[in-house]
Amino acid sequence: MATEIGNQHLLVDPTTQPIVPTFEFAPRIQDLTNKSVGMIDDSKENAKELLEEIGNLLRERFGVQCVNYHAKPSASKPADPHVIQAMADDCDFVIVAIGS
Amino acid sequence: MKDVRRVEWDEATEAIERCYELGWTDGLPVVPPTIERVQEFITYVDRSPDEVLGRIDERRREVSVAKAASNAVMAGCLPEYFPIVVAATEAMLDPTFNLIAPSSSQGGASLLVIVNGPVIGQLGINCKDNLFGPGNRANATIGRATRLIMMNACASIPGLFDRSIMGDPSKYTFCIGENEDESPWEPLHVDRGFAQEESTVTVFASWGPRQLRAANEPKVVLDVVADVASSLGTSLATSDSVSDHTIGVRQGQVVITFAGAGAFWNGWTKQAVKEYLHPRIGRSVADLKRVKVMEGAILTGDEDRRVNFVPEPDDILVIFAGSPEASGYRSSVILSELPKVASTAVTKAVRLP
Repeated sequence: MATEIGNQHLLVDPTTQPIVPTFEFAPRIQDLTNKSVGMIDDSKENAKELLEEIGNLLRERFGVQCVNYHAKPSASKPADPHVIQAMADDCDFVIVAIGS
Repeated sequence: MKDVRRVEWDEATEAIERCYELGWTDGLPVVPPTIERVQEFITYVDRSPDEVLGRIDERRREVSVAKAASNAVMAGCLPEYFPIVVAATEAMLDPTFNLIAPSSSQGGASLLVIVNGPVIGQLGINCKDNLFGPGNRANATIGRATRLIMMNACASIPGLFDRSIMGDPSKYTFCIGENEDESPWEPLHVDRGFAQEESTVTVFASWGPRQLRAANEPKVVLDVVADVASSLGTSLATSDSVSDHTIGVRQGQVVITFAGAGAFWNGWTKQAVKEYLHPRIGRSVADLKRVKVMEGAILTGDEDRRVNFVPEPDDILVIFAGSPEASGYRSSVILSELPKVASTAVTKAVRLP
């Protein structure tokens, strides 16, 4: 293959692009009564406090029955895949807090 | 070859400007990654250009041999350096290293690349005078290649995924060899389970080196090393961004480099050095409460209660490097930018053709 044509040169692009898979959203819940919520705390400041308050409000105002809470060991590492799978299996919806 | 772009220029200086315009540089001029030059690197390692060296799932990206080669060309590497760049790329994409943390953290980690084994002598990698400084092509370009891979292939671009508050000059390049020939101890890669005759790369998410001097006695050198490593205000000596607060600080790994003559350490094995340092790297509960790393009022006894900053002696990585003509009191402390729970050093073998 000609790699130079006149003053044009072929360069191997050093950058990458994200490869985003298609996915479908889970169906939205219409009624939270008796549902269970999973909460993932990213271990940054105020994430725990925020989730606690949200958990209280979900119970008091929306009848959520069960709160399943997990704090990541490190804010900088993804949540344990086993924790994520367990929440997906056991909870009706999940809330993640990113503290600051 | 995939992802090939047609770029126009007449003279070499224009080629440099085109690469700046494409946003591919670290702020310094780069060597244009022509398809011929990139192919030389790929041919040298005898691997498929599309072979995936690693993935960053959280950013939906994967880094191929061709992408690593393009960045290594831009950094100014020779083809012979590319096996080390490949091993460093594999190491930094290892889940244990957890690249998303050091490449994005506000703390602004640099990537310390430590080379061990016969490849040091084969490629003339500097492990002696001016260890961290400029002047050696292998050190300068191998380290630079890893940063360009992080920026271009892993999207660790300042303001995008790289959220460093200040960063560090060592983010440009930070590659050293170990002076194995004159070391009084076994080299780092042997500590970490590799054979002496293997060549390896170890990556470590770091802040820049803090150089030290002390009196000309080993125990005094170690006491000064421990004092500096026990500084307040470091990533080790803080307590945020982790869920476990039982120890008081989040703890992390440390690299220590010792220059000078090997005979200075007569009577001290590397294990003895690590075990001497480990309990001495830390602060009192009182000190940590004073600077709000630990909560609560200072209680009776807090001045004497110690908190260790390093989890275990083996989390102190000892390297013998720097000018062998220095007095033995020349050393450096390189702290991890992250807690051990977020990122730990990873060592990979270098596959030589």
